[in-house]
Amino acid sequence: MPLLETHELTKVYPTVTALDHFSVTVEGGITGVVGSNGAGKSTFLKILLGLVTPTSGEVQLLGYDALRQGPEVHQFIGYMPEHDCLPLDVSATEFVSHMAQVNGLPRAAARERTAETLRHVGLFEERYREMKGYSTGMKQRVKLAQALVHDPRLMLLDEPTNGLDPAGRDEMLDLVRRTGKEFGIAVMMSSHLLSEIERVCDYLVVIEGGRLMQAGPLGSFTERTQVLAIEVDGERTGEFVARLRGAGLQVVEEDHSVLVGIGESRPYDFIRDAVVDLDLALVRIEQRRQSLEDLFRPTHNDEEERHVAAV
Amino acid sequence: MSQRSEPAGNIYDLGYRHYDGVRLGRQQAFFSLYRYSLRGAFGLGRRATSKIIPIGVVLLAAAPTFAQLAIAAISPINATVISPANYFDFVQVTLAIFFAAVAPELFARDQRMRTLPLYFARGLRRNDYTIAKLAALATALMFITLLPQLVLFFGNGLAGSDLAGYAQDHWMELPQVVASGVIVAVFFACISAAIGSQTPRRMYSTVAIIAVLILTSVVAAVIAETVRGLTLKIVVLLVPFEAATGTIRWIFNAGVQSDTNLGKSGLEVWICFPAVVVVSAITGWLTFRRFARVDV
Repeated sequence: MPLLETHELTKVYPTVTALDHFSVTVEGGITGVVGSNGAGKSTFLKILLGLVTPTSGEVQLLGYDALRQGPEVHQFIGYMPEHDCLPLDVSATEFVSHMAQVNGLPRAAARERTAETLRHVGLFEERYREMKGYSTGMKQRVKLAQALVHDPRLMLLDEPTNGLDPAGRDEMLDLVRRTGKEFGIAVMMSSHLLSEIERVCDYLVVIEGGRLMQAGPLGSFTERTQVLAIEVDGERTGEFVARLRGAGLQVVEEDHSVLVGIGESRPYDFIRDAVVDLDLALVRIEQRRQSLEDLFRPTHNDEEERHVAAV
Repeated sequence: MSQRSEPAGNIYDLGYRHYDGVRLGRQQAFFSLYRYSLRGAFGLGRRATSKIIPIGVVLLAAAPTFAQLAIAAISPINATVISPANYFDFVQVTLAIFFAAVAPELFARDQRMRTLPLYFARGLRRNDYTIAKLAALATALMFITLLPQLVLFFGNGLAGSDLAGYAQDHWMELPQVVASGVIVAVFFACISAAIGSQTPRRMYSTVAIIAVLILTSVVAAVIAETVRGLTLKIVVLLVPFEAATGTIRWIFNAGVQSDTNLGKSGLEVWICFPAVVVVSAITGWLTFRRFARVDV
């Protein structure tokens, strides 16, 4: 049984279609939800959480009909919003323990789990102080803790590294990765930073203009391309390029690299011999991988056009 | 513990345990929110300064009780200055301060701090949230509308020489005290919730609640000086404090003094009760509608 399955999910706002017949299946593990601003990621997450009612479509979540069995399914879900959501005049312990009970845990269990969970996210003595004095990093940890305290089966994290400095970002991503890998809790995380997604996610769902663009294991997005990047050092670089062109290869010169289109031909030996003949130093030779950023470039213009058309 | 023996390199690495105990679901969510809100109303679990206003107001509202008990204890004759029937007249302003301080706390805070989506994304429906909050506010108000009068009732009984005799003479007052305390609490809870929930800004709702409760009474007093007849009757019914006073008089079967606004209007006091019910229903509905519609 898949973790999540949506069928033809559509949300139409008066001025814009946020989700447009969006069908996707998510199996588990750590899934990244990516898309540019306004692509429909937030609407998608909010529908899963019951915060937004879709115009039409079906959602199966953890085996429940999420649109009709909201309270039943939501007790197994943890949610960390992108924005501030903490009442700053109470302590982290007071708030997280309250949230555990709102998730259905008995009072004693809620207290115990609160202490454990706050320790997991790295909050110690300061958890008894009111949250007004917390740093952004500490607040983000409390937000994560309240999403984790009831031991959910799925955690939905909306931009969990928002506002953090590089060190805080690393720690947060590490916590997310550990939650998914070691605690065995499925995670769906939205981010507009592809580098973060690449670091922690196993699966990727790409949304553009309210439609599913692509979904699958992360590896399938970064397949090897048919381009070889070569970096050489020496005086006779120009001759090297000319010799490659002479052999009928497609060659493009980039800043420090020479890019060679390789198709079926495997010109490795030829390149090696050319390097040796011209007395160059070979610094690097590698097959280029497609980067996640490449996914977004070609569609950027249609995205804007679609928005204009919708308005 | 075996966890201790692990390398101390990663401070978070204390092992994660899954929870396999009971999950009590929606009911637990509801009662937890009720308890948490009630605690919040009195600033419990918060810093000391947030306790000052609510606790101070509760003491202030209990002052007439202590005054009456002191009179009863000292004076040789059985003088009743403050009775359950007119208790409300002494604490109106105190009540208004309490609503203005507490209702925005309960109904605007989650919107201002943006905690609302956390609740609505849990095993709780939006209407459950509203009911829990209204119940918490009404309960908090009963600390003012009901508790001091119960103390007064039993205190009066104990102050006299003959407790059994007092109970025999006054037993009818107990259900009246409870009924009036509960009705007044629910009535003002609905009004101040309807106002307090409309905006996340605490300042606006505090001012609006004061305006609706106190200014309307002032306006009614001015109108009572100039106009009589049907207009004044309608005005009196629409002014929360007047309608509440009328209802209390009706419950205790007590007369209305002719120099009060209520007396000048010549209104039959029982009519105040349906007015209170209707206003509670409308303002309660406004509160539910607000939380059913608010975007999170």
